[in-house]
Amino acid sequence: MDYVVAVLLPQLLHGLVFGAALGLLALGLTVIFGLLGVMNFAHGELYMLGAYAGIAVIGMTHSFWAALVVAPLAVGAIGALTEVTTLRPLYRREPLYGLILTFGLALVFREGARQIWGGDMRRIMPPFTGSTPLLGMTYPNYRLFLLVASSVLLLAIWLFFTRTRAGVLVRAAVQDAEMLDGLGVNVPRVFTLTFAGSAALAALAGLLLAPIFTVYPQMGVEMILLAFIVVILGGMGSMGGSVVAAVVIGLAQSLLTLWMNPQRVAIAIFTIMIVILIVRPRGFFGREGVLE
Amino acid sequence: MSRAVYARVFSRWAVIVWLLLMLLPALPFMSKFYLLLAFDALLFGTIAMSLDLLMGYTGLVSFGHAAFFGLGAYASAALLERGIVSLWACLLLAVLVVGLYALVVSFFATARRGIYFALLTLIFAEVVYTFFRYTQTFGGSDGIQGVAAPRLVGDVAIDSPLRNYYLVLVYLGLAYLACRVLVTSHFGRVLVAIRENEDRARFLGYNVQRYKMAVCMISALLTGLGGALYPGRSAFATPDLMLWTVSGEFIIMVMIGGLGTLAGPVVGGAFFVLLQEKVSSYVDWYFIVIGLVLIFIVLFMPRGLLGIRDLLGGRRWRTTA
Repeated sequence: MDYVVAVLLPQLLHGLVFGAALGLLALGLTVIFGLLGVMNFAHGELYMLGAYAGIAVIGMTHSFWAALVVAPLAVGAIGALTEVTTLRPLYRREPLYGLILTFGLALVFREGARQIWGGDMRRIMPPFTGSTPLLGMTYPNYRLFLLVASSVLLLAIWLFFTRTRAGVLVRAAVQDAEMLDGLGVNVPRVFTLTFAGSAALAALAGLLLAPIFTVYPQMGVEMILLAFIVVILGGMGSMGGSVVAAVVIGLAQSLLTLWMNPQRVAIAIFTIMIVILIVRPRGFFGREGVLE
Repeated sequence: MSRAVYARVFSRWAVIVWLLLMLLPALPFMSKFYLLLAFDALLFGTIAMSLDLLMGYTGLVSFGHAAFFGLGAYASAALLERGIVSLWACLLLAVLVVGLYALVVSFFATARRGIYFALLTLIFAEVVYTFFRYTQTFGGSDGIQGVAAPRLVGDVAIDSPLRNYYLVLVYLGLAYLACRVLVTSHFGRVLVAIRENEDRARFLGYNVQRYKMAVCMISALLTGLGGALYPGRSAFATPDLMLWTVSGEFIIMVMIGGLGTLAGPVVGGAFFVLLQEKVSSYVDWYFIVIGLVLIFIVLFMPRGLLGIRDLLGGRRWRTTA
């Protein structure tokens, strides 16, 4: 029982917290994939830009909460601008070109951040400290906030996609953009706004996780791999699948750390991933025939 | 080999360029520094060319070629570190190690298409990277440092930039011949058929996966052999050689040069190396420049540098389509 409370439970919660935040990141990735057929390699950099934009806003206003509002908006604007100028001309071309293009974008963003903010590690102070007694142990307040905030956001996104006209339009565009175009909807605008929204979500995840992790220009490189794994595991283009997979990966990662060193965990997760890609390439909830 | 095939394999331009490259070290400004730069340009050019077999001809994007490259480099460096300094032993071990790994990767990856192929190769490569990065037997994050120069025969060590340059030039020549023969042959035509319409190729009775596996293996082995030459020039092999962003750089080289042209990616690789060197000697934000070049090429020159000839109104560069 002591083992459960002292070791297992915190680790479970850590996994849940990380998984929920990872879900925010993966959700944007999977929507973009469904919409444009492009695995967005620059998604990790938008995540990184979110953290840095947060640092910039906190530097000016000394408020984490202001940053939480402004940073995603700023990164969303960058995302919209990027989509209009670089991805839009590629709609009619093979998805391969989009994939490679986003790799170039990632290089530019990463190096740009290093030029502006320097290459050293930075930290964001959590907006509140202390911890709460919970199920016989104490758990840091900020992590609890992170869990609640991510869950509320995921719920809000779910409501957006199921209950609002805009959300239905995005889903329709994922299904069949041409048909939507035929029905008189401005599809390029749907694409642009969705890309902006996905960028804002990535930025939000970056900023929310920043007080737990460290902020540095390459922080997106490792995260994006994990997010890719989540997207595949959940089934490409399946939003619910991505969230479930994110939580599974988050839990798996934090529980496996109990018995293995982090490198072995990384290898274990990669191996699980390879096996899933081989035996069940559509992941948990993937649809048939998506870009195969 | 019929005469027409012979003429395509030993095309006039390829032979002339290769002979001119033979004379390159004779230029007055070719210091040791520039020779090493030329070594890198040709080495990465050749690797980009072998990736082009997959990307340009078969339509498969590998995001894991850095692992083949890095494994080759490690195989070679591990032998050199242990006092086995024969170049041939290094190459042989590289072929064995890379071949074994590539067999596993290509077996599983070629069962999937498109984005799944890209992601499978990427994740396999990440496993290899993580393994070498954290295994102390191979030096962990420092890798294998300060190895001796490999010997060609007897006491002839490839220890000068000039000798390294000629070694890589021979490698480029042989690899180009191999790739050209390959894509000109029936085998190469089937690869193009797979790229254009995989299902139709299958209905025609071709065992598509076997063809894809074969070309994966060839591409991986050529890349691994290139990796095996690397420690002779740099005296080290580090896990950073296998980072997935390096695989991305290989893809950039192919794109810059022009998909499905063989010669293009060689030019692209050389251009990438020289651009990085030139820009980084003036500013330290060369990755921005490289990223912008890549974006520009994807948007406006999808046929790569060799596509420029189209704009100039010249004969269309020989491609596979």
